Amino acid sequence: MNIKRLKHKRALWLFLLPGTLLYLFLFAYPTLSGLFYSFTDWDGVSDSYRMIGLDNYKDSFESLVFRKTLLNNVKFMLSVVIVQTIVSLVLAMLLSRNTKTRVFLRALFFLPAILSSVSVGLIWSFVYDPTIGMLNLGLRGVGLDSLTQNWIGDRHIALYAIAAVQVWAHAGQMMIVFIAGLQAIPSELYESARIDGGSRMQLFRHITWPLLAPASAIVIAYTTIQSFKAFDLIFVMTDGGPNNATEILSTYIYHTAFGNYQFGLASAGSMIFLVVLAVLTYLQFKALRTDRAA
Amino acid sequence: MTRTSGKKLRYLLASGALALTAVLSACGGGGSSASGGDVTINFLHWRGEDVKTLDTIIDKFEAANPTIKVEMQTLPSDQYQSTAQAKLSDGSVGDVFASFPGAQFDALSKAGAFTDLSGASFLKNFNSELIATGQKDGKQLAVPYQLVYNDPIYNVKLFEKYGLTPPKDWEGFLALCQKLKDNGIIPIAFAGADIGPGQFMNTMVMNNEPSDDIFEKVEAGEAKLTDEFWVKTLTQIKELNDKGYFQPDALGTKDAAAGALFIQEKAGMLASGSYQLAQNAAQNPELEQGLLAPITVSADQAKYEGVHTSTFMLAVNSKSKHPEEAKKFLEYLSQKDVASEYANATGQNVTVDGVTYDSPELKVAEDWTSKKTLFQPRFTIKNGDNQKAVTNSIQAVLGGSTPEEAAQEAQAVIDQNLSKS
Repeated sequence: MNIKRLKHKRALWLFLLPGTLLYLFLFAYPTLSGLFYSFTDWDGVSDSYRMIGLDNYKDSFESLVFRKTLLNNVKFMLSVVIVQTIVSLVLAMLLSRNTKTRVFLRALFFLPAILSSVSVGLIWSFVYDPTIGMLNLGLRGVGLDSLTQNWIGDRHIALYAIAAVQVWAHAGQMMIVFIAGLQAIPSELYESARIDGGSRMQLFRHITWPLLAPASAIVIAYTTIQSFKAFDLIFVMTDGGPNNATEILSTYIYHTAFGNYQFGLASAGSMIFLVVLAVLTYLQFKALRTDRAA
Repeated sequence: MTRTSGKKLRYLLASGALALTAVLSACGGGGSSASGGDVTINFLHWRGEDVKTLDTIIDKFEAANPTIKVEMQTLPSDQYQSTAQAKLSDGSVGDVFASFPGAQFDALSKAGAFTDLSGASFLKNFNSELIATGQKDGKQLAVPYQLVYNDPIYNVKLFEKYGLTPPKDWEGFLALCQKLKDNGIIPIAFAGADIGPGQFMNTMVMNNEPSDDIFEKVEAGEAKLTDEFWVKTLTQIKELNDKGYFQPDALGTKDAAAGALFIQEKAGMLASGSYQLAQNAAQNPELEQGLLAPITVSADQAKYEGVHTSTFMLAVNSKSKHPEEAKKFLEYLSQKDVASEYANATGQNVTVDGVTYDSPELKVAEDWTSKKTLFQPRFTIKNGDNQKAVTNSIQAVLGGSTPEEAAQEAQAVIDQNLSKS
């Protein structure tokens, strides 16, 4: 019996093979070749290239554009993480009970998540257009002319305008995670707390928030990585402009490789990107685990 | 025992097959196959909108050359920049291929992707000045087929209504803009968010630059963007913006939205180029259009009347297995009647001599062949990073920076690229 099981187990290992092969072929191999090219001056076209050691890394860290890009990434990520988490939590608290209207509203808020991000970007580009865009026309229509902005043309607000679209598109998705977390909290806890005379704020602080921690950890972890990797929205809406005000790492890598034929430099950028993402993921993962244990 | 090993085998086969499919599908993608004694050549380019016209031209070519088959493959233009080189490098596609002037032409010629076409008999069918952009180190590596004028478009009827004519100097241009503005018309629709800076900089700098190779000098470190020519250009662009001659918040406006302002006749001029004429006419058949370049100096100092770009640079892949057949196809495309058919059906002006255009939009551009025009200055910037730094400095002044600051910021990027090479 035991021997048979063991044999069976060995056969089971084969199930790993397709996945492993795909992983090696589609992830490990490109990553390693990217690492290799990051030490070269390959232009992406020629047959030949030179090994130039760590020059690409040095150039990247010294590059004015790269530094601006990295800073933009952090700004974009922080604003998306903070706003998206709060918005989705508030929506979840409002819509967690199962009534017909609430289920409908949940579906409605989730809708943007299933749209392609390129469509979302195009739609919002028109909404944000300063002259014929819905947003400014709407503001003027209700007499709030002073609030009209050059949404994606002003270098000070363009990045945040795109972050707002990112939140619009994904808050509904995160709301679902929060709702699942909220529905898992036993209602007895609230009942007894209410009997003890707990106020709404106290209920939230002492019951909802601590018990929602695992869901929050998932939401924050997911949002952090997702917003750090953002590419499509920025690519469609501003392509990094005006004057690099919305250029983030992923668009910088794309422009360096395919607009400027500096594959080596772009590969170095990708490797730095990979390391930053790996560190972020590791930290998040640790946080997530501690939450679960608690 | 036998059962388990049989199972094992099946697992192995199944996973093997899966892996193989993955490998095969990754390697897949076009390839030319020849049947019988026939030769198939592959034509790679980015003009998806021209496919129908080119299909008919190819049919005729194949009828005239029964042993050659042409298979056409197109990629969207932004992807073309990124994927074309990889596809070209093994010679399986793109026996004949198109490339963009500037950074792409430069990168591909460094990589040795072009077959030298110097001395080919069909070159004489082209306007020799216009195809000079396809030359490098004295060799004709590619032949630009399309001709574009990167001059702003203006609304002829609106101009007539207010008694305006294309001005000869900067004072005149400012007065013209003011007149339009006074009459409630946006003087210039400007797509500041995407194509605007890259298009408009050309006519703005053409008469300010001290020499035609000024950007080459900038890239070589022999001149700087902080020099007078560029600071003056930025100052003048800022002047237009500050005086309200662009639509409000021009920096947030994209190509399509700026085009809409012009097509709806809310704007008197559109800062793009002749490539946009046919599209504008299709959306508003009432529109009568002309081309006009701002002259940024006094009339006696003006060297150029406008800017042209010869693009869609056709070439024969150096890795092609059928270079003779590929050249034959190029020769066919260079014939006057074939080029006329292409031009009239696609609405693009061409670099071939003696072509007759039927549409008013093509004729507008045709009138410009006799004018003194400069090859697009932006495309003389070979490094993509530098090109972006230059157009970014325009966005910077529109966003509130002073011309000096913006020029300095751009020059810093160029200095950094200089220290790398």
